[in-house]
Amino acid sequence: MKQAYQTLNVSKKNSIELSLKILLVDDEKEFVLTLSERLQIRDMWTAVVFDGKSALDLIHTDAPEVMIIDLKMPVIDGIDVLKQVKQTKPEIEVIVLTGHGSEQDKKKCMGLGAFAYMQKPVDIDLLSKSLKKALEKIKANKSPVI
Amino acid sequence: MTKDKHELITGGMQFFGQMSASATHEIKNTLAIINESAGLLEDLSMMAETNPPLSPARVNDISQRVKRQVVRADLVVRKLNRFSHSVDRQTQITDLEKTVCFVLDLASRLIEMQGVVVKVIPPLSHIRVDTNLFYLENMIWKAIETACLAAKEKKQVKISFGTDADTPSIWFSMETVKDNLMDDLFGSKEDDVLLAYLNISIKKNKENNGFCLLWPKRF
Repeated sequence: MKQAYQTLNVSKKNSIELSLKILLVDDEKEFVLTLSERLQIRDMWTAVVFDGKSALDLIHTDAPEVMIIDLKMPVIDGIDVLKQVKQTKPEIEVIVLTGHGSEQDKKKCMGLGAFAYMQKPVDIDLLSKSLKKALEKIKANKSPVI
Repeated sequence: MTKDKHELITGGMQFFGQMSASATHEIKNTLAIINESAGLLEDLSMMAETNPPLSPARVNDISQRVKRQVVRADLVVRKLNRFSHSVDRQTQITDLEKTVCFVLDLASRLIEMQGVVVKVIPPLSHIRVDTNLFYLENMIWKAIETACLAAKEKKQVKISFGTDADTPSIWFSMETVKDNLMDDLFGSKEDDVLLAYLNISIKKNKENNGFCLLWPKRF
């Protein structure tokens, strides 16, 4: 089976040293492929899908730690993806990255359990920081309680 | 201001807002791609300081990506500008097919979101009406939105034009429609006010899973 998640792992200069699997979901292909490449440059493992259905399929076969999803997508939109992910795989942290940023949408997404809500165009450093915080939360949840 | 006029203006503003929000969202998407492309160039140039030199083909590829997005954003801005000028005149002679195609183009992103394919069958000759262009666009969008909502399974909508030149009409037909939905199409106060203002009536055709916008017979 072809590995879904890939990294470039060529530069340590920008690295935030994450061993994190990230699934990017957006129907804007050029956007999501470029963002994926930039995260790979930062030593992250990424996979890209262009619709909600493919995302929901992949989380059951090869689940990521974090998902970055757009809100407005054809057929199954980001809100539905977020709802289903939180119902079936609540351990996955979801960052909503959208060009359609109303306060109402933000409230709804955070209420449904999104880890963060960010607007396009996004600052890669802010996104990287958010991914790092998501990793810390995941690690904290995994560490045994003494 | 009468209650009907208030209803008409409020509905028109909602339509304008919906179209503007869709267009600006698309522009934001193009800006996001341009932003990531610039960021990628920055990343690659930093990497080129320590790794093998940056390939000219790679730079050209990113530059072409930016150019494509500029063309895309320019098209959206042109559409939005044309739409904004719809309110310039109280009434004007308007070509029905051209107006339908423009509304479809303007709202293409919203239609795509619903996963519906809309096909326009051009009329044999131009059909023109003297009307308020902005509110006609508003009515056509309501009809398209209603047809998209009603279409099920194959999710296809066909738009055609009546053949009687003296009685202009625009037909919307769906392959299959959701049960009982044909009974509930239109009929809100806002729909009634808009139809009355444009002097249009709605004719439903349950057998053919469709409905039409019908103008009165010309004498």
